[in-house]
Amino acid sequence: MIRAIRPRFRDTAARLDPPYDWRTALAVLVVGFCLILSGQRVELDRFTALTGEAILAQLGLAEESQVGRGLGRMIQSLFPIAVEERRELARLSEIDRENLPWLARIERVETTRYELDRQTLQLVPIVETKEYLVEPFGYLLRVLGKMLETLEIALWATILSVLLSAPLAILAAANYTPHRSVYLAARGLVSFLRAIPELVSALFLVLAFGFGPIAGILALGLHAAGFLGKFYAEDIEAADKKPQEALLALGASKLRVLRSAVLPQVAPSYVAYTLYILDRNVRMATVVGLVGAGGIGQELKGRYDLFEYDHVGTILVVIFVTVFLLDQLSARLRARLL
Amino acid sequence: MTSPVDQATVGERVVLAFHDVRKTFPDGTKALDGVSFAVPRGQFCVLLGPSGSGKSTLLRCVNGLVAPDAGTIEVIGRRSSPRTLPEIRRRVAMVHQHFNLVERAPVGINVLTGAIAQVPAWRALLHWFPEPLRNKAVALVLRVGLEPQHLHRRVGELSGGQQQRVGIARAFLCDPDLLLADEPVASLDPTTAQDILSLLREAARERSATVLCSLHQPELAVRFADRILGLRAGRIVFDGPPERLDDAALARIYGHGFPTDRLELAA
Ligand SMILES: Nc1ncnc2c1ncn2[C@@H]1O[C@H](COP(=O)(O)OP(=O)(O)OP(=O)(O)O)[C@@H](O)[C@H]1O
Ligand SMILES: [Mg+2]
Repeated sequence: MIRAIRPRFRDTAARLDPPYDWRTALAVLVVGFCLILSGQRVELDRFTALTGEAILAQLGLAEESQVGRGLGRMIQSLFPIAVEERRELARLSEIDRENLPWLARIERVETTRYELDRQTLQLVPIVETKEYLVEPFGYLLRVLGKMLETLEIALWATILSVLLSAPLAILAAANYTPHRSVYLAARGLVSFLRAIPELVSALFLVLAFGFGPIAGILALGLHAAGFLGKFYAEDIEAADKKPQEALLALGASKLRVLRSAVLPQVAPSYVAYTLYILDRNVRMATVVGLVGAGGIGQELKGRYDLFEYDHVGTILVVIFVTVFLLDQLSARLRARLL
Repeated sequence: MTSPVDQATVGERVVLAFHDVRKTFPDGTKALDGVSFAVPRGQFCVLLGPSGSGKSTLLRCVNGLVAPDAGTIEVIGRRSSPRTLPEIRRRVAMVHQHFNLVERAPVGINVLTGAIAQVPAWRALLHWFPEPLRNKAVALVLRVGLEPQHLHRRVGELSGGQQQRVGIARAFLCDPDLLLADEPVASLDPTTAQDILSLLREAARERSATVLCSLHQPELAVRFADRILGLRAGRIVFDGPPERLDDAALARIYGHGFPTDRLELAA
């Protein structure tokens, strides 16, 4: 009876029913209810209230908001950004006064402090002169150096991931793997590598290799190898079979068929994946630096912990500019290579 | 009719011989049902048969792309087996209906991959082919009717007829003893089809290579073949020179109702 009232598409009756029925409506209701429950768990209500307050404050319709105040104070403390490097001369043993570094100068600053005279029991001012070595672009250069280190970490991580994933992809491609068990093992390894977030593996690698770029390169490279291994392998599997069969019929081994019939087909998408990984590694290299894996992130974390927000400002500006420039560069590279 | 194997062995060297070859696919399709024949050196032998009669399967059994269930195949004096297959494949070339070229690679590289199994591994992997081979590839590209500027053009940018010329150049690069062609002109227009078949025949004759070629059009078979094999439902139902391919023979191959007037039109 019910089937007679509500015929489905697969029924032989030549008619078209509306694409939705009560089942769709029920599914929408259930999903909506689950989202409401979950939204409360992640404090979406508080988020809405705070954001609304901030917007009203901006429009002058409400008093100052908590979010606006916090953000405002933070942004104010980032500027002006720190460009020069100022160090107390007395602590720098190796500086030759007659032969200062390029553009550097020495600044004298007089500070007065009051000390209690034991006899007169009066506060007497004591004038002290401190000397500072000031390098006008010192800090900017230092941050640029750190940024370069981050780029190098990203580059080497990308090289590592390509070297690792290329052979892995062959073993993990169903039509080129030497054996089914090798295929399963390679697939498992690729998934495993992709499953560990860079930040987590960086935490452990810093323990193993100490602070510095090695941990960063390994953390990023291993994760990216999991990503590239999967996509390289899927492209090998999806490559046009006809030229492969032609070379097989000529007596070529699997490796030769891969080189001559598969590689030319997959090369464009391999370039695209690899450029994406390089791009991603640059951004992630900054993040893993936060846990001590070298580069600009490590510098950022250090300054942030010391409340030196003007230095943090410099670092953020340099990161933004670099990521922007790299984006342009990789877009051009892609257009040229594809 | 006397056995085709006996006919061919008289006085001539046999390049290819099938002895009672059978192939049934896992889904139960009988593609080859006891096929025996022999092809002497230098012959241009054409396989005719309706769709699904087993032409592709037969050709693919020769170079081991399909493994027969029963019977024996002898190619260039060697009995086909997993052990002899690599050597057989290096001396047997194939031209495909869909060309089976690497479309993103240039013409020159596609022709040179004809030698991919014959050069040392490092040359194959770096595509660093020896100079004599490169010169030979250039000569072949010109021989099959392409222009020098095509050498660096991507195959995907060529017309179908030009692509099949590249396929033929690739097949002849290593001077094969036997050339297999599976409907080499099926995706080409009639004029181009004739040109390609003439080219195939002449290039094979210059090198005294044997050709086993499947075709869909009897008129083309009559025009180019030295000998025609008719295949139907996995069995050979006709074996003889083109002159003997009469209406009765065509009816045996294609079943009754075959429009034989097409043949007279072509002749
Ligand atoms: N890999 C396969 N698995 C199962 N059946 C197959 C396979 N390859 C071919 N066949 C079947 O074997 C039979 C012969 O096929 P084959 O491709 O040899 O015919 P053909 O003569 O080349 O046909 P066409 O002229 O259409 O190319 C057909 O019935 C086909 O469906
Ligand atoms: Mg076929």
